[in-house]
Amino acid sequence: MADDPEQPPVFRTWRSWYLLVTGFLLLQILLFTLLTRSCA
Amino acid sequence: MRTADWIVLILTLAGIILYGIARSRRSKDIEGYFLSNREMPWYIVLLSIMGTQASAITFLSAPGQAYTDGMRFVQYYFGLPLAMVVLCIGFVPIYHRLRLFTAYEFLETRFDRKTRILTSTIFLVSRALSTGISIYAPSIILSSLLGWDIYLTNIVMGGLLIAYTVNGGARAVAYTQQLILAVVFAGMFLAAFQAVRLLPDGIGFPEAMRISGHLGRLNVITTGIRDGGFDWTDRYNLLSGTIGGFFLALSYFGTDQSQVGRYLTARSLRESRMGLIMNGLVKVPMQFLILMVGTMVFAFYQFHDAPLHFNRVAEEQVRATSYRDSVDMLKATHARLQAEKRTLVRDLGASAGELGTAVRDSKVEALARIQREDDALRGRMKGYIKASGASEANDTNYIFLRFVLDHLPAGLVGLLIAVIFLSAWGSIAAALNSLASSTIVDIHRTFARPGTDDAKELRISKRYTLMWGVFCILVAELATDMGSLIEAVNILGSWFYGVMLGIFLVAFYLKQVGGDAVFRAAILGEAVVILLYAYTDMAWLWLNAIGAVAVVAAALVIQPLLARRAR
Repeated sequence: MADDPEQPPVFRTWRSWYLLVTGFLLLQILLFTLLTRSCA
Repeated sequence: MRTADWIVLILTLAGIILYGIARSRRSKDIEGYFLSNREMPWYIVLLSIMGTQASAITFLSAPGQAYTDGMRFVQYYFGLPLAMVVLCIGFVPIYHRLRLFTAYEFLETRFDRKTRILTSTIFLVSRALSTGISIYAPSIILSSLLGWDIYLTNIVMGGLLIAYTVNGGARAVAYTQQLILAVVFAGMFLAAFQAVRLLPDGIGFPEAMRISGHLGRLNVITTGIRDGGFDWTDRYNLLSGTIGGFFLALSYFGTDQSQVGRYLTARSLRESRMGLIMNGLVKVPMQFLILMVGTMVFAFYQFHDAPLHFNRVAEEQVRATSYRDSVDMLKATHARLQAEKRTLVRDLGASAGELGTAVRDSKVEALARIQREDDALRGRMKGYIKASGASEANDTNYIFLRFVLDHLPAGLVGLLIAVIFLSAWGSIAAALNSLASSTIVDIHRTFARPGTDDAKELRISKRYTLMWGVFCILVAELATDMGSLIEAVNILGSWFYGVMLGIFLVAFYLKQVGGDAVFRAAILGEAVVILLYAYTDMAWLWLNAIGAVAVVAAALVIQPLLARRAR
């Protein structure tokens, strides 16, 4: 990360943050699907 | 409004203005004025990004959407977290490395001056018009429900924030947005709490959820598949929300200066990235909770008299025409359906556990049938309003405030009216700041004589902020007399966003494409979007994706053709 000498907080790499964002979105879609089905 | 409401409203608005003025710090140059000397921590950047995106209509419209169409509107935000990741990887490092003031500066570095001026002009025109409409849209709702003078409401909605925005610049905008969001979320939480509290004995949050679910309001995920095929005219579904929403969010956060200007205030690339990543994490849950407020309002109205149409002024106007008898018949049928529904929801809500499966299913089916009939009545009512030419037929944006005014206690009504003003201020202040920064950096500096000193440039910047504030209020005042203008401005936005993104994608990722090719590709892409809009019923979220893809594809084709001609 030549442009960003500072390390990301908490995780060691930015990739971990990106995976967290994507994973959290997928988890939400899964939970919303379950909610939709259970209330249909 | 009662005295307590006026006191809460005035104190809240005055508090924000005073806080904004107190947080204003004297800037020496336009870097301090527009970018807070690039010293903001990530959490201020995050709140500023959120406060800029969430306008008054967000808080008026989302609960109304949940009431009329269910929770599926949340899918519109599914592409946003993915766009945040792409921005953090591709866009933000370049903006930081070049120490830009505006996103459009980059286009001159990468292409040429005409591409920069074209893109910044598109931004200035579309953002100024849409800011005018974001002043007018909540004002017309407030003036209609409360009987306020629309011209004066426009001035309060768009004018008071100028007090801290002109002098305080980006710093005052960011700090007030923090406080504004705190007030807005507190107000929305209290409104939802009240909606649940006002339910009959024995009906709590779980029962309210169950009833909303039976009536199709918890349809969070929808596929958009109808009659065995994908429905391209369906507005909100998993695919349009994820793909169309991704392109929209990428365009809005990556190329719209009102957002780029927020994360350029960060003290480092790391802080910008953290602000955007956190926005990607919190946005979907936040919108889900705002929609949940609408679901609670929907559940509330299953036990209380719900108006057939929530815009009382429109209803009175249509009753003054030859449609009066038809409207009264609709209202009588609506009242009968409501009474039938109330009996069923009480059974299903309080004593669902005691009912046998067969009885429960038959009651659920009967309830769903009544709801469909009632929804059809609302549709017919809108048809009469439209046919009479009385007023705006769509009452989605009126539902939440009508509930607030009719059913919430004194004081809380004032707080929620303040929420509408403040959420508008948060996004308008950021828009004025970004309009002024693009005007001075992309237009003024390009044509002005070189050698202007910092103090003079700062004075001019403040004048531009004031000028755009006055201009946006004038747009709002004009919109009052030209109802169709609002729709036109909203359409205008969806025409340009995809194309602007396409230009930036070419700039970032297609190094072989030059300024002449991208300029022609942008014009071609724009033509594709306009033709699709004119000749198909395609849902507008798709236009953003198609506009961006069209520019990229056209640039790839045009560049070799231009190179061959040059040889």
